Amino acid sequence: MRTRTKALVLVPLVAVLAGCATPGPQDALVEARRLAPQGGELTLATDEAARRERESAVARALAEPLDAQGAWRVALLNSPALQALIAQSWAAQATVVQSGRLPNPRLALERLTRGDETEIGRVLSFGLLELLALPWRAGQAERAAEAARLQLAADVLRVGAQVRQQWVRAVAAQQLAQYHEQVRDAAQASAELARRMQAVGNYSRLQRDREQAFYADATAQLARARQAAVAEREALVRLLGLSPQQASSLRLPDRLPDLPGEPRPAQQVADAAKRERVDLRLAQRRLAAADAQRTLARWTSLTDIELGVVRNSETHQPTQRGFELELTLPLFDAGQARRAGASAEAIAALNQVHQVQIEATSTLRERYAAYRTAYDLARHFRDEVVPLRQRIVDEMLLRYNGMLGSVFELLAESRTHIGSVIGAIEAQRDFWLADAALDAAILGVPAEGASLLTQAPAAGGASPAGH
Amino acid sequence: MTTRRLFLGGAALAGAATVARSALAALPEPASRTDTNTAAPLAPAQGRPYRPVVTLNGWSLPFRLRNGWKEFHLVAEPVVRELAPGMNAQLWGYNGSSPGPTIEVVEGDKVRIFVTNRLPEHHAVHWHGQRLPNGMDGVGGLTQPHIPPGKTFVYEFEARRPGTFMYHPHADEMVQMAMGMMGFWVTHPREPRRVPGYVECDRDFVFLLNAFDIEPGSATPKVNTMLDFNLWCFNSRVFPGIDPLVVRRGDRVRIRIGNLTMTNHPIHLHGHEFVVAGTDGGWTNPASRWPEVTVDVAVGQMRAVEFVADEPGDWALHCHKSHHTMNAMGHDVPTMIGVDHREVVQRIQKLVPDYMVMGERGMADMGEMEMPLPDNTLPMMSGQGPFGPVEMGGMFTVLKVREGLARNDYRDPGPYAHPAGTVAREWTDAAPEPQRAPGAASAAPAPLRARKPSGHNAHH
Ligand SMILES: [Cu+2]
Repeated sequence: MRTRTKALVLVPLVAVLAGCATPGPQDALVEARRLAPQGGELTLATDEAARRERESAVARALAEPLDAQGAWRVALLNSPALQALIAQSWAAQATVVQSGRLPNPRLALERLTRGDETEIGRVLSFGLLELLALPWRAGQAERAAEAARLQLAADVLRVGAQVRQQWVRAVAAQQLAQYHEQVRDAAQASAELARRMQAVGNYSRLQRDREQAFYADATAQLARARQAAVAEREALVRLLGLSPQQASSLRLPDRLPDLPGEPRPAQQVADAAKRERVDLRLAQRRLAAADAQRTLARWTSLTDIELGVVRNSETHQPTQRGFELELTLPLFDAGQARRAGASAEAIAALNQVHQVQIEATSTLRERYAAYRTAYDLARHFRDEVVPLRQRIVDEMLLRYNGMLGSVFELLAESRTHIGSVIGAIEAQRDFWLADAALDAAILGVPAEGASLLTQAPAAGGASPAGH
Repeated sequence: MTTRRLFLGGAALAGAATVARSALAALPEPASRTDTNTAAPLAPAQGRPYRPVVTLNGWSLPFRLRNGWKEFHLVAEPVVRELAPGMNAQLWGYNGSSPGPTIEVVEGDKVRIFVTNRLPEHHAVHWHGQRLPNGMDGVGGLTQPHIPPGKTFVYEFEARRPGTFMYHPHADEMVQMAMGMMGFWVTHPREPRRVPGYVECDRDFVFLLNAFDIEPGSATPKVNTMLDFNLWCFNSRVFPGIDPLVVRRGDRVRIRIGNLTMTNHPIHLHGHEFVVAGTDGGWTNPASRWPEVTVDVAVGQMRAVEFVADEPGDWALHCHKSHHTMNAMGHDVPTMIGVDHREVVQRIQKLVPDYMVMGERGMADMGEMEMPLPDNTLPMMSGQGPFGPVEMGGMFTVLKVREGLARNDYRDPGPYAHPAGTVAREWTDAAPEPQRAPGAASAAPAPLRARKPSGHNAHH
């Protein structure tokens, strides 16, 4: 009877010793929510009701043309990939919390009989060293959990940057397809006119075929542009995790957002980066964990102490009580390897902090330069190239009016003008990609930069020869 | 509108040192004129009397008489010349205008011409067709040193031969002529009745043929063009900017034409026959003349044609090369005649909203429609007559013959008032069956079909 009482007393004690409570999914998301720049509700839908609620919220968001922020919100609500990420992180956090708890005490029972004599031995034992190291272990677990939370934040932000960039690509591709259609229309008008000219004997086969060739090229380009629009849209659909029905109701805005009036100043970007870098915080957290691990390893690697409470009952004998102490003798393994390992981990973590610091500043410089170049290019296209091409079309029209130039030259200039608009859209797209990449760099999240080194293909081509 | 012009820049009269000692006292004040109207004939205030010429859209240079010399002052300089309302050309000329003013002297006059160079490059003036000392012939490098920018040179010679002449640069000649530097020269006979082949005329018009290549939308000639000129001028003017030649019915009329373009111009007059009474070589033998209605003026030539203007009306006077009666146009623009534009128009207008169809029926649209053109550019054809668009440009003007004009009245009398029943009109009665060439069976023209040359009979 007494034994049972004692055992019951042990339960709350054990609970206290076990330390921190099991994390819920919301705790796992704290860091990610705090850092996510676009806001939005980040949750893990754990039951059917939550999933239904999520679906109707997505439907509401898809009722309007989806802007970049809307795309982010939908991704947060909807993306199974993101939900999986959150759930995995939750699992990881739960595991590290587990590591912060005491190992359960062991109860050894033995029942031996000799004739009519029965001997019952009970030993309740637990690791003394582990009990003593409990505060360290709890701290370590908390650090690991925090690292996991930061890792989730980084993962979520990486997906956020991907969503934003893919949205930009999808909108731009859709917009570009429209302009390739206009190029095709201009070439088609030329070709049709040339066909009629040949039919009445005013043009040779060669002259007609030249116009027809532009039309043929423009048709091929349009097919490519349309396929690109489909591909970019579907990539967005995958990132947002849209079902077939949801995908069919997805509408994108007709055009990319305008360029901001001024680019972000370099200083503002540098200041923001100092405050918020996830990668640096993650590396520092890992370093702290490695340092703590090294300290702990100094003890735990040497020996292990097991304390047991013993109670033996034997038939016809008074109960036997006592304790037993079990020591690991560091004869063959003095724990050097474990201590060395922990030290190496700590050195690695320290160097990783340094490397992250170097990469962080360098990446930020590069991303900022790319951002500024993209901004200047987009503005150059908007303020110089496109108006210039428009003026050329206007002047060409005046020349056409004066019978100084032909309708074919006019249409060729019109094609080139549309080509410059295509270049402008591409430049605007690259700006928004670079903008998202810069945001990611400020937060210390990996993201693709925009490729500004390739020359945008001049759709519409040069003026046709022979005019 | 003769005005004094301030000299450009700081060049001043630094060139006076190069002027002959006899003239050092003072140079005649250079006259300048930028007006493009035909100036009234300039009767001489001093010296021997003569019947002055009328320079089409130009003027004659005043002179001063000094110690027995007729002194003129030409200033070679950049000028802005209105080719026709709506277009100004940046040219080089003399005394504010291109061409420069006409110089009129009398046979036997001792002529002194000061030439001040206000061009950015050196200059020299050649007196085309004159008998003069070789050193006064004005060929830069060959017969004289060039006139450097800012300097004044003097030319002195006696006007020995009466007749029709011109002056033009002979230093960087191609460029300076392409820029519009040239002028007319008339040496009147001292005793008209004693010059064989010469008769006094009631009206004596002079002008030069010149050509420019000015990119539509710009103002300066392309000096390196050899053949593809786009503005064909009488005295640096194009239709509808050329004044009419106004004459009184019954007047004996002389028209003197010099050609400083790089191609020939068959100049054609409607309604009259004329004779070539003179060339830059002198007056022709009356027995050698034959009647013509078109005179071909070759490059570097001058022709003086004469006739009695006895047919009242508005008679076209123009170069007979039809492209020379057009202003700037695109010679590579394809023929759109007969090309159905339906549907395509809408498609093009979607891309170029202000696009309009032209040329589907021919190019007369151009003369009828007023459409926005490049800056400083004239329509290829324009001009309104009393019956509709004239559809001309370039070397085209009108000889206006009217009853009872005053002797010196050159004012435009307006459109001719045709006597009743003398204007072509629509025929509304049944038309007689047209005669057709034998073998042309059908009234409807057969569609044209290009045939491949086959065998020897394909050769012309
Ligand atoms: Cu001609």
